[in-house]
Amino acid sequence: MAEAENVRAEPSAQTRVFGEPVLTLENIELGFGGVKAIDNVSFEVRKGEVLAIIGPNGAGKSSMLNCINGFYKPQSGSITFKGRKLPAMDPHFAAANGVARTFQNIALFRGMSTLDNLMTGRVLKMNRGFLWQALYWGPAQREEIEHRAYVEKVIDFLEIQAIRRTPVGRLPYGLQKRVELGRALAMEPDILLLDEPMAGMNVEEKQDMSRFVLEVNEEFGTTIVLIEHDMGVVMDISDRVVVLDYGRKIADGTPDEVRANQHVIDAYLGVAHD
Amino acid sequence: MSYPDPTVHDTLPKVLRHNARSHPDEVALRLKDYGIWHETTWAQYLAQVRSTALAFRELGIGRGDVVALIGDNDVDWIATELAAHSVGAMTLGIYRDALEEEVGYLVDYAGAKLVFAQDQEQVDKLISLGDMAASVQHIVYEETRGMRKQTDPRLHELAVLIKRGEQLHQADTAAFDALVDATSGEDVAILCTTSGTTAHPKLAMLPHGRFIRHAITYLGADPKDHTDEYVSVLPLPWIMEQVYCVGFGLVARMTVNFPESQETMFQDLREIGPTFLLLAPRLWEQIAADMRARVMDASSINQWIFDKGIKLGMKAIEEGRRSTLADVMLFSALRDRLGFSRVRSAATGGSAMGPETFKLFLAMGVPLKQLYGQTETLGAYTLQTGEELDVDTVGPPFQGCEVTILNPDSEGVGEIVTRHENMFTGYFRNEEGTKADLRDGWMHTGDAGFFDAKGRLVVIDRLKDIAETASGVRFSPQYIENKLKFSPYVGEVVILGSGRDCLTAIICVRFSIVSKWAEKNRIGFTSYTGLSAEPRVYELIRAEVERVNQSLPEKQRIQRFLLLYKELDADDGELTRTRKVRRGVVSERYEQIIDSLYNGAQSAHLDTEVTFEDGRKGRVKADMRIMEVGAAPTSELRKAG
Repeated sequence: MAEAENVRAEPSAQTRVFGEPVLTLENIELGFGGVKAIDNVSFEVRKGEVLAIIGPNGAGKSSMLNCINGFYKPQSGSITFKGRKLPAMDPHFAAANGVARTFQNIALFRGMSTLDNLMTGRVLKMNRGFLWQALYWGPAQREEIEHRAYVEKVIDFLEIQAIRRTPVGRLPYGLQKRVELGRALAMEPDILLLDEPMAGMNVEEKQDMSRFVLEVNEEFGTTIVLIEHDMGVVMDISDRVVVLDYGRKIADGTPDEVRANQHVIDAYLGVAHD
Repeated sequence: MSYPDPTVHDTLPKVLRHNARSHPDEVALRLKDYGIWHETTWAQYLAQVRSTALAFRELGIGRGDVVALIGDNDVDWIATELAAHSVGAMTLGIYRDALEEEVGYLVDYAGAKLVFAQDQEQVDKLISLGDMAASVQHIVYEETRGMRKQTDPRLHELAVLIKRGEQLHQADTAAFDALVDATSGEDVAILCTTSGTTAHPKLAMLPHGRFIRHAITYLGADPKDHTDEYVSVLPLPWIMEQVYCVGFGLVARMTVNFPESQETMFQDLREIGPTFLLLAPRLWEQIAADMRARVMDASSINQWIFDKGIKLGMKAIEEGRRSTLADVMLFSALRDRLGFSRVRSAATGGSAMGPETFKLFLAMGVPLKQLYGQTETLGAYTLQTGEELDVDTVGPPFQGCEVTILNPDSEGVGEIVTRHENMFTGYFRNEEGTKADLRDGWMHTGDAGFFDAKGRLVVIDRLKDIAETASGVRFSPQYIENKLKFSPYVGEVVILGSGRDCLTAIICVRFSIVSKWAEKNRIGFTSYTGLSAEPRVYELIRAEVERVNQSLPEKQRIQRFLLLYKELDADDGELTRTRKVRRGVVSERYEQIIDSLYNGAQSAHLDTEVTFEDGRKGRVKADMRIMEVGAAPTSELRKAG
């Protein structure tokens, strides 16, 4: 597979129409010591789409997400976001400009209630300073009520009313995943990065989660980039799929195109690499 | 207590209008949404009904049409119901968890012209029915979520209709009053589904005037007023929820509260602190069982207090008093915890309830009363007086309701037949059914019962369910089942033995409790099926069966039982939507198992079709052990309990 060839998506009749690219990644290279995690990968994320990044273990999927929201700084290449071309994303810039994410291993505040965890998603949107908040009454309280109202909408959307006051550490895994999605949604993101949202779930929980992902996309017009191992889920819910293998992009197209791609079949079924 | 004059305000919309005029700013309804209780005053309630009704009229809904409603209990549900009544239409409530075919049957049978469907889930059911719902010209939905892609031309958003109705009202402010004036007490208001333990449900026709007058009769036995708070948790299509939520709400101006979701029910109940409460026996039993399960997790001191308090309280109740000590150390805290602190009156009905559970709540200070009635009789017509401890009867009939026992045997047991002025007028489009059940104005209930010395009615079981073994021993399966169901470990049970040589039982363990018990006893399991097959769970249940056997006459004792690999489920048709066991379905589906219970086999093999939550079907094969219930329990077995 020396000459990995990119398969370009030609919008077919059934594909939905998407807007401009909101995020463009060009020639991203990322290495850790001698290991090349990402090797010259370029792709774009278009407004309003559900984009899946797939690939075997160690293909560089999570590293890719970490580059997008600024956790990792690529050694070369550029990221264009909101009209700014940057050598690497800055995490604060990303968060303040509507990039939210969830993690492969749930990263919630386990001792805090669902409600409080979701409220932390609003922190960036709170303008009142420490002193106002310490005073509690007045502007800070009004602000808190406003944010609580938004958080309640998210709670209603994800149907987690019954666990509003439950410390998340006591919740089953599937619900914790849902709370984590809720915290990301509380940020009112334009782009939502989901790192294996359905890992470790049973069939019913996966169905629920798929439904939520699609509804977030439809109701709020949120662009979604997700990493997922369950091929059934990926093929069902994504508009476009980017396939990575050993840090390189081997395919990029609609689920049908990707499914038929020989490189992808080889990568998944295993072919000797020379 | 004064209620609106039923000769003047003889339809539900008229009573609503009366309330809105006399008490416009009083809170009529409360709904929890986005974590906050939202209040609706009588004036706002009327305004929503008015707008919806005017929009319905524009859609061509009028006198004699049927409007079906399906969804969770909330303000929009009952406001839409009253809007339909205002234009002279009849309403038909459908259980929210009904499967597609059930919805299809009802909608098609009634010829529903408009269906109010709460959300996408319900709308999807209707749309996928296709030709089966050919009569449906309009589908009105409440929640817009997930509806973007729907293009069915029959769809209308409720909020949009209400806005349109508001415009229509501005254009002609007298239009709505004219509509309401045109409604008549003789008109059929509600088509109420019967529980249908044997076949498809029938639709009882309940006219406005009768519905209101019977509500007033009931209020004579258990008065309510505008200071009463009620939490609506039972399904609205059920007759008793209609009587309370719509009937008492309008007639007595009792405030009706709707919880946020099914799952938050108990939390919301506690926040409201209702003064009046109706729960089905299984919910009371669930509360009692959850309470016990939670105590298992408590510290040993708390467990000790709980055990002592329950013992003291139960003993006091048996002696016809309440224990102050138990109240101070346990029950006042329990009442607060459960949200029962302000309860002035509580009821249970729909099916029989285990006497132990009943006593437990009485001991707790919840004035629980059994009621009895049918859909056809507009719900309850007997209610316990609460004057003395009474776990066996359903109390005396209401004023003006006649109840007699038809063809009583030597012990006075026979079929319960009843009549009062305000019963149903017949089954919708079912003359034959009407003739069979309603003879010379008497409703034949099909229930067996008798009157005790104090004139209180005792209901034994369905007449056709009273069974006789091959040796001629008569027994009531339900009576024995209820005894077993008081055990926190037993979820559902079916007693068999009709025409056989002895009694046996199919038992479903109560998963929430037994799984906790298993955890505590370090028994590993992966699923309900696995847990049910566990030998130590068998021993646990055997101890429970033996305990019940001791309280039964020797010939009515259970000889063998097995633990079913799954819970009985309404989706599989094994239970009705109100969770009564459909014996016919059970004995047909589990014929193999039942045969094994009687042919001396050590285990039963099963190969059957199941319906999953999402409607898919699959096959299940299972082997279940059959356990003999021995004579005297050994001390070893006792420990298992």
